[in-house]
Formats: sequence, C-alpha cells, structure tokens
Amino acid sequence: MAGRIIGVLVITLFIAVFSLVVAMGGLGYMLPPENVRELARQYLLIAYNPSNRTFTVFSPEVVTSIVWDFRGLDTLFETMVFYLAIIGSVALARGIKPSKPEKDISKYGLSPIVKTVTRITVGMILAIAASIALHGHLTPGGGFQGGATAAVVPLLILVIFSRYYLEAHGVRKNVMLAIRSFGLLGIGLTAFIVLIIGFMRGTHAYVFQNQPKPDAPVGLPAMVNGQLFSGTLWFFNLFEMFAVAAGFTIVFLLLSIPERDVLKYLKEEGGEY
Amino acid sequence: MEVDPITYFYTVLLLSMAVNLGISLYGIFYRPSLIKKIISLTIFSDTANTFAIMIGYIRWRTPTKPPKPPVLTNLNATENVLREFASTAVDPLPQALVLTAIVIGLAVTLFLVFLTLQAYRLYGTTDVREIAKLRG
Repeated sequence: MAGRIIGVLVITLFIAVFSLVVAMGGLGYMLPPENVRELARQYLLIAYNPSNRTFTVFSPEVVTSIVWDFRGLDTLFETMVFYLAIIGSVALARGIKPSKPEKDISKYGLSPIVKTVTRITVGMILAIAASIALHGHLTPGGGFQGGATAAVVPLLILVIFSRYYLEAHGVRKNVMLAIRSFGLLGIGLTAFIVLIIGFMRGTHAYVFQNQPKPDAPVGLPAMVNGQLFSGTLWFFNLFEMFAVAAGFTIVFLLLSIPERDVLKYLKEEGGEY
Repeated sequence: MEVDPITYFYTVLLLSMAVNLGISLYGIFYRPSLIKKIISLTIFSDTANTFAIMIGYIRWRTPTKPPKPPVLTNLNATENVLREFASTAVDPLPQALVLTAIVIGLAVTLFLVFLTLQAYRLYGTTDVREIAKLRG
C-alpha cells in the first residue's frame, strides 16, 4: 500500500514539474509562438530553393525533405527499429506450423455482401496507398504512411475472407519476408547510390547524399522529363512502402494463426515449461 | 483583460495532456494486466506525439488567416514567395519525427501484443504478479 502511495505521489510530481516547465516558458513565453524557430525557418526556406543549390533538396514537401534528406540517418535507424520489432515477432513464432484448411476456402469468412464490397474497396485502398507513397515528395505522405495504408488490405482480407484465402493467393509469411528484405535492401542501396556514382566518376561523394554539393559534384537528377523526382526521395519512399506494408502483413499473419495450432506446438515442444 | 481564444484552447489542450500523461503512467506502472499496460503505453506515446505536434504549431495571424501546412504549392517560387511561405507555414520538424514515431510505435505495439499473446498461451494469465511467481 505504501509503495502505491509513493508511486502516485511520484506521478503527480512528474505532472506538476511538466506543467511548471511549460508555465515557466520552457517552450517559449508565448504559446503558440508567432513565428517558427530559426532551424525550422531554414528548413522551410531551403527545401525547394533553386537559387540555393548548396543545400536544397528540390522537394516542395518539407516534411519528406527532413525525413529522408536533412535528417536521413535518423530515419534509417528508425527503420532499423521497425526491422527489429518485426524480426522479434517472427522469432517468437518460430516452429509454429499453421494447419491446412479443413474445407473449401470459399466457405470461410463473412457473408457474400461483405466479401463483394471488400473486393471493390481493396483495389481502391491499394491505389490510394501507392498514390500516398509515390507522391510523398510532392504532397503530404510518404513511404511510412503509404505502407501503413497498404497493410490495411491484408488485414481486411484476413478478417473478411480468412487466413487460408490470403495464403492461397500468395500472401505467405516467407513471400512477405522476401518483399520486406527487398524493400530494406533498396533503402540501403539508395543510401549508397550517390557514393557508388561518385566512385565510378572518380569524384568525392557522401553516404546519404541526394543533390550535388560543392565538394561532391554528383547526385541523382531532381527532374526527369520535367517530372519532379527530388533525387533519392522518390526511391526511399517506394522502398519504405514495400518494407512497411510487408512487415505489418507478416505480424498480422502471425497473429491470425489459429489457437489450436499454436497450442499443439507449445504442448509438443514446450514440455519443459 | 481580454481573453485570447487561441491561448485559452492551448491551455486546455496542455492541461488535458498533463492529465493524460498522469493516467497513462499510472496504467503502465500499476495495472497488473499486460494488455492494460500496452493500452496505457499507446496512450502515452500518442500524448507525446500530440505534444510534439503542438510545439510546432504557430499563432494565427488574424482570425481568418490560419497557419499553412509545410508544403510549398508554387514550384516557380521567387525569393519573396519563399519568405512568405517560411513565415506562414508551421514547423515541419516535429511532424517529421512524429511520422516515423507512429509507424515504429505501431510495429512495437504489434510485437508486444504478440509477446503477451504467447505468454498467455504458455502461462494462462497476463497478470504480471502471476507471471513473476513462475519458476523456470
């Protein structure tokens, strides 16, 4: 009981200190402030600025410029956390063998009305996901959001059709692992592509470089045929979409393994528990 | 003294956020069920994300001129247009951090849910006090 009282006191104190910091101007004396902070102002000014070739990313979407160019290494490590979380789930489910369907796979799932509506909406969701991801350098969106949107499709099919329907149509754990590895490999390659071009041209270049810099005069083209690509940003968004969508699909597939299959495995293998 | 409605709503938002933080911390530390701990953890991370987005917001110039999203809509922007854009757009940096935090948070939550599910299948309980008593 005493421990609980101390705990509640500590939490109350934490909230009080948090409120005090805000009240004393820890976030600035005027909330919300009149203008953005100087760092943000610089980001806003140089994200798409053809007259400032030294720093510009050639992307009118400032958030994506920050995510994949100004602070690209942050995002690379966040992708690594994502990778580890998915791999952790796969490791937890090792050895569990899902059973084969006992009846015709079209007999599983909800009513034909729901299935028909799902068949129509699934295509639309995928189209929107692709649009969000591939226009990430122009409009709000990007690989993370597009991938999360695309992952809704297997989730819907899992609930409305069945796990067996999804597996019969090629969405299996190992296929998804391969697609996710392809996405992660693509992200790694895109991070090094300008360095590789620099080696081949015999000039200096950086890892995670996008546009040419004064001492590293190579980079991916910002425009191709008048279409704005923003160099590496488009490729990062594309590969991140594959990695995120496939990664979430893996976990959904693992979570949907029937209870009796898991229990069977745990009883056979987990005798020592 | 005249009450500025934006400052007023900002204060309400900050206050509710502090309450939210307290409730979610209580849930993480004191609810014995792992599922309730995970729910509290998502509330905590969502509050932190809202807080980050709020820090990047800027004051309305006039009641009819809200701040703009950090997306440039004019590709032939001159220096003046860019300067105007930088003075009306909100801070893009917290948005960039929150965007990745949401997806990573979802992946970690899924991992924790799966971990809890496996623990429940093995031990038949999600109560941390029961799980702590188990040996081996």
